Amino acid sequence: MNLNRFLCIAGQGAARRLAVGLLLTTAGVLGASAATAASKVEQPIEFPHDTHAGKMGINCLYCHTYARRSAVSGIPPLQKCMGCHQNIESVKDRPRIKQLFEYWEKKEPIPWKKVHDLPEFVRFSHERHVQRFYFKQERPIQEACMPCHGDVKGMTVAEKVQPLSMGWCVSCHEQDHRIDNVSAKTSNGPNDCWQCHK
Amino acid sequence: MSNINRRDFLKVLGWSGATVAVAGCGNTSVESGAETVMSYVQPEDFVVPGIGVYYASTCTQCEASCGVTGRVREGRILKLEGNPESAINQGRLCGLGQAAVQHHYNPDRLKEPMLRQGGSLQATTWDKAMALLAEKTGNLKGEQFALLSGGLSGHLKVLVQNYVDSLGSKNLYVYDALTPAVNRAVSQKLYGTATPRFHLDKAQVIVSFGADFLDTWVSPVHFASQYAQFRKAQQRMPSEKARGTLVQIEPRMTLTGANADRWIPIIPGTEGILALGLANALLKSGAAAKNLPAAVVSAVQAYDKARINKETGVSGEVFDKLVTLLSERSPSLVLSGPSAEGHAHGAQNAAAIMLLNVVLGNVGRTITAPAKLPFPQLAAAEGNSAALTAFNDGLAQGRFKTVFIYDANPVYTAPEFMKLRDNLQKAEFKVAFAHYLDETALEADLVLPLDSALEDWGTHIAAYQSGGIELTMQQPLMEKLYPNGTRSLGDVMLDLLKQRRADEYKGFADYYTYLKIALTRNKGAFSDAPADDEAFWNQALSHGVLRVKGQEQPISVNAAALDITQPAPTGDDQFPFHLVPAVRSGFRDGRHANLPWLQETPDSLTTLVWDSWVEIHPKTAERMGIKEGDILEIASKNGSIKTQAYLFPGVQPDTVAVPLGQGHEALGRYAKGVGVNPFKLLDPVFDQSTGELAMHATRVKVSKTGAHVKVVKEEGWSPLPINTQQGRKLVATIAADKANLSKEV
Repeated sequence: MNLNRFLCIAGQGAARRLAVGLLLTTAGVLGASAATAASKVEQPIEFPHDTHAGKMGINCLYCHTYARRSAVSGIPPLQKCMGCHQNIESVKDRPRIKQLFEYWEKKEPIPWKKVHDLPEFVRFSHERHVQRFYFKQERPIQEACMPCHGDVKGMTVAEKVQPLSMGWCVSCHEQDHRIDNVSAKTSNGPNDCWQCHK
Repeated sequence: MSNINRRDFLKVLGWSGATVAVAGCGNTSVESGAETVMSYVQPEDFVVPGIGVYYASTCTQCEASCGVTGRVREGRILKLEGNPESAINQGRLCGLGQAAVQHHYNPDRLKEPMLRQGGSLQATTWDKAMALLAEKTGNLKGEQFALLSGGLSGHLKVLVQNYVDSLGSKNLYVYDALTPAVNRAVSQKLYGTATPRFHLDKAQVIVSFGADFLDTWVSPVHFASQYAQFRKAQQRMPSEKARGTLVQIEPRMTLTGANADRWIPIIPGTEGILALGLANALLKSGAAAKNLPAAVVSAVQAYDKARINKETGVSGEVFDKLVTLLSERSPSLVLSGPSAEGHAHGAQNAAAIMLLNVVLGNVGRTITAPAKLPFPQLAAAEGNSAALTAFNDGLAQGRFKTVFIYDANPVYTAPEFMKLRDNLQKAEFKVAFAHYLDETALEADLVLPLDSALEDWGTHIAAYQSGGIELTMQQPLMEKLYPNGTRSLGDVMLDLLKQRRADEYKGFADYYTYLKIALTRNKGAFSDAPADDEAFWNQALSHGVLRVKGQEQPISVNAAALDITQPAPTGDDQFPFHLVPAVRSGFRDGRHANLPWLQETPDSLTTLVWDSWVEIHPKTAERMGIKEGDILEIASKNGSIKTQAYLFPGVQPDTVAVPLGQGHEALGRYAKGVGVNPFKLLDPVFDQSTGELAMHATRVKVSKTGAHVKVVKEEGWSPLPINTQQGRKLVATIAADKANLSKEV
């Protein structure tokens, strides 16, 4: 085992979870469903989703490899970027790729800003959604991810296009969805409080 | 948003129902771009963000050395569980063990070395600190150096011992305030082993004289699982109809006492008299006197029922029932615990109690010998309080110039009469290896911060081994929180040894390398060890437990070696009460008082939180006009404390009990200023044969101060003078049509 190679990520989040910070402040509930409008967040590198997912047609899960296996999708590790870009001579001189190589040489993670965030008291599982809507229904990956993340083929950095509010989640959970690609059976999403608030 | 009051909020909630938007929720970090999310640079294949990875290690919260597995997610330790591969705890872990993560993440942890400059402790660097250590130990005569340590085992013990040797010193004092050292000494005499194996699960009856084996005694998690088997006698032995019966005899009810079928309060110090009375009655009713010297058989004849009743306060009826129970059901197991052993005649008490096992023929059946450890240098040194006395005497005589203190807080745990705080000042240079700025560190000249137990390497061999001997591995469960601030004591000891014996230790780059080399060189001593060194090391770390090929040995009995003479009980008119300094499972000797989880956990019997209290029998309280919450002054010849009264029927009427662990003047934000410290009150009484501080021999007087507080406790309030479930509103209810919700909510 080599713990030195672990990087301490999401430190604040874990500490806060330890302290069980379940503070449902009442007044705040009324607040901001304002974040519905797409808002572009400034990132350390303006990552072009349009090039990767659009022009090159790379499957989302190729980079966001944890989404099918874990509650969180995980930002792709730097090693993932380098796996391809070390071998793509044609774009090596572009400013954004130069930046990427700088991080790699320093062995430093890129300090991405979180775009799709949920409060600590909400547990959303990427794994459940990706397994159902991609693997079981055998839909194109874009269709599985788009309802929440929007059409990234047309974006550079990720933009939040949906409110990710409870009512918005429920509006989809209320609908019937086919359980897989084979049977005609459908089911809706769970509407028990504890499915997400546990 | 801030001017919306609760009622308006409820109305709005009613309108929008389930579809109310909670996206914002007053939590600004949910906004896009408000938080940074770091990815891995080069992840391990097995690491998936959001999914935990488990690593095996050893719990260091008490001396039982249970195996643990820690759940690590995104490089952070989140939760500890028991390691199923450890025979000690078999996958279970107690609340004290679970709380270890709060030592690791504690906001009061020391983050950098501190040096006394101009009267106060100032931040310094490790380089300067190590140079200073070399300077202060360089031209020192061996006898001018002393090291006071908490319990040690495994390879750290070897390093510490070698360092003390390298200075030409013999002054390694291994101190623990609560180890059952008297029990160990008497066991050694009687059974030929200090730590015999107990088989609670094989006994039909257990009679425990104050051994709180379910909560605070020796290896509680292990005993708790044996106890569960003991309670399922029918499953264990289909022919035996009855489940095991537990009798607990002690002046103040412990958690084990609360679980007993019969709890017998006894006048403190008279446990030996009762035990000899039982031996006498059992021998008369036909128990074999085999293995018993004639002198013992004749000595017990002086202890008849009338005398027992008069001297111990145990009624004739209860005594008879106990004799019947013990003579009818076999095998049984008789345990001697701290409340019997903490007296000037503690060893005699323990001897009289353990003698019952010989009379009842339990030795070899419910008590066996542990396997023989092939490398005694790694065996646990549990420590004792005689070591503190010796250390304090050395300080008082001005014999020590440089002292090191590790894993002990003697300024807090030493009784007032020792004057340890003053004596410590006589040493020129005092070094505290510590996790917190505790009472002792505050007196030191150099304070060196240590890695938390979840950041450190180590090997442990528990003193009490339940089955075959196991060596448990301790490994870091995450990266250090303060990588430049804290160090492992193993690394410090190695560096110091390199200053003295460079040739011998130059091959070991660090403590990790030392452990790896030391263990792989001896891999032949462990069962199922792979031949390849790397494979062996990986197996040791992934399983966390190494089983030592120990030789089984028969247990011997030598009753003639025991001194069972009992002094006549004495009274004290000026100080009429016996003081029981009660051990709480969470705090032990006070070292865990800065963990808020443990402060918040209600005491098992009284349900009090975040405070100290004095337990007093309701009848005694009635006689003295004391009510719950009255602030009482508890004064011994050596000091006094003031704390709230708690009326408790589980305490012998001539006894008051104050829990240990609180009353810190330092240590951290959660411990400081909470409650009182009964260690300070203790009288200078020592066990005559071992020199152990007699923790249960202090006499006190109790007086009202006139002040009164409301006791903060979980159990609620009762209109009766003592707390019962009667009259308690378990769940408060009100009819829906009677409720005015605008007022209730």
